[in-house]
Amino acid sequence: MSTIRQIINEHRTFGKQIFMLAKSDLIKTYRGAALGWAWAIVKPAMTLFVFWFGFTVGLRGGQPIAGYPYFLWQLAGFLPWFYMRSLIPGGAGCIRKYKHLVTKMKFPVSVIPTFVNISELMVHLVLLAITVALFLIFGHTPDKYYLQLPLYMLMMFVSFTAWALFAGMLSCISADFQNLIKSMSTAIFWMSGIIYDVNNIQNVYIRTILKFNPVTVIATGYRKVFIYKEWFFEDKVEMLCYGISLLATLILAIWAYKRLRKEIPDVL
Amino acid sequence: MSNEINDYNERETVISFKNVTKEYKLYKNDKARFKGLFNKKVPFKLKKAVNNLSFEVKKGEGLALIGRNGAGKSTILKMVTGVAFPTKGEIFVDGKISALLELSSGFDVESSGIENIYLKCSLLGMTREEIDEVLDDIVEFADIGDYIEQPLRSYSSGMKSRLGFAICVNVKPDILIVDEALSVGDKNFKKKCIKRVRELMADNNVTLLFVTHSLSTALEFCQRGIVLEQGKKLFEGPIQEAIEFYDARE
Repeated sequence: MSTIRQIINEHRTFGKQIFMLAKSDLIKTYRGAALGWAWAIVKPAMTLFVFWFGFTVGLRGGQPIAGYPYFLWQLAGFLPWFYMRSLIPGGAGCIRKYKHLVTKMKFPVSVIPTFVNISELMVHLVLLAITVALFLIFGHTPDKYYLQLPLYMLMMFVSFTAWALFAGMLSCISADFQNLIKSMSTAIFWMSGIIYDVNNIQNVYIRTILKFNPVTVIATGYRKVFIYKEWFFEDKVEMLCYGISLLATLILAIWAYKRLRKEIPDVL
Repeated sequence: MSNEINDYNERETVISFKNVTKEYKLYKNDKARFKGLFNKKVPFKLKKAVNNLSFEVKKGEGLALIGRNGAGKSTILKMVTGVAFPTKGEIFVDGKISALLELSSGFDVESSGIENIYLKCSLLGMTREEIDEVLDDIVEFADIGDYIEQPLRSYSSGMKSRLGFAICVNVKPDILIVDEALSVGDKNFKKKCIKRVRELMADNNVTLLFVTHSLSTALEFCQRGIVLEQGKKLFEGPIQEAIEFYDARE
């Protein structure tokens, strides 16, 4: 309990600096390269193209889904994945990346995951705007289901901030853990229903287990907004599963912070 | 004489250590440390970096920590700044700390000098207006010319230290922590630094905590000295006596 209070206090006293640090994190990521900001768009575009090519041209699948071209269906699920793809390993490495803040000055360590997530959220907002524009070009105007976007964004933000705190703290103690997470990124992608619809899986147990994975729930959520036109409360099991996994992540994050806050300046 | 002592005792205490012990857990390797998180039986060695240390520093005072490598000086400074935490004991610190620990670190090499000034100052808890106020002083003090607009990766190590020092002494600290930092830069810059620290101590009632091997510099700034060995306090007293004590042990 006292750890929760500590985390909240650290965020409150550092409110202004969090946004400044997020901005400088963003600038740091993209400056220095000749194309600079363009990379934030080129990289996702490349991924999308490769998968579109593989599935539509190579495997001759890629049939329209729910009346939408396969490309748009793909885009709707990949949009949150780009955020999550960056933060699965990025979250695990965030405190190590900013270790000068931990070892050289008095700094509330729990805000590091927060500003790293905010920085990534900025990129996400740009990609979201592009996605909405692409849907418009294909003749799909925003409707009332788009109102769910802030909710799914918030779910993604909270889940991955908690994840980054947990994984980031543990990675400080063990570089093995960090490498494990890095290598798991691809596995998570293929097992999370980003390139297929989880609801099409026949085995009911596997289907339910997958719904405990926040990556699945969030990617499906974005598709509900853009493609399926469903409300988040229509699938109550899914929301319940998400709630449980979020709670578990939060508990792990708080445990890690409580256990390791005083130890990591000595280890890093 | 007795008046002086009374005066001293009445001054506000800004740093106090009460029976502070700092232990480092040494595991065989990282794997063992990771296992140790979940299993208390994983063996480790305890190394006492600071052993049951108590001392106080009054406002406006200069205190030198003297000792060989491994005496625990850096660990003490880290605990004063709030970077590291004591295993046992209590630490009390009152006031804004500006620490000159490894001057060139904590900078973002991709950002320019000006951006780094804003970044570092706001991490010290200053508002934008407060930073604007001291910006010119910092730029002037660092005296690195047009480089101030360049990204830090193009700086020489001397330039980085100068910028670091300029920030630390110009942010109006209550407590200034200096760790070998005065040895940066050329002779002229060193003189300037020493002059600036003296000014700070004279008019702002700044408290100085000083770690050094250069005993002559310590003599200039500090009234008191503590001699440490392997985390234990061997001697505490007037700086002249502390230096004599330290020299005698060498």
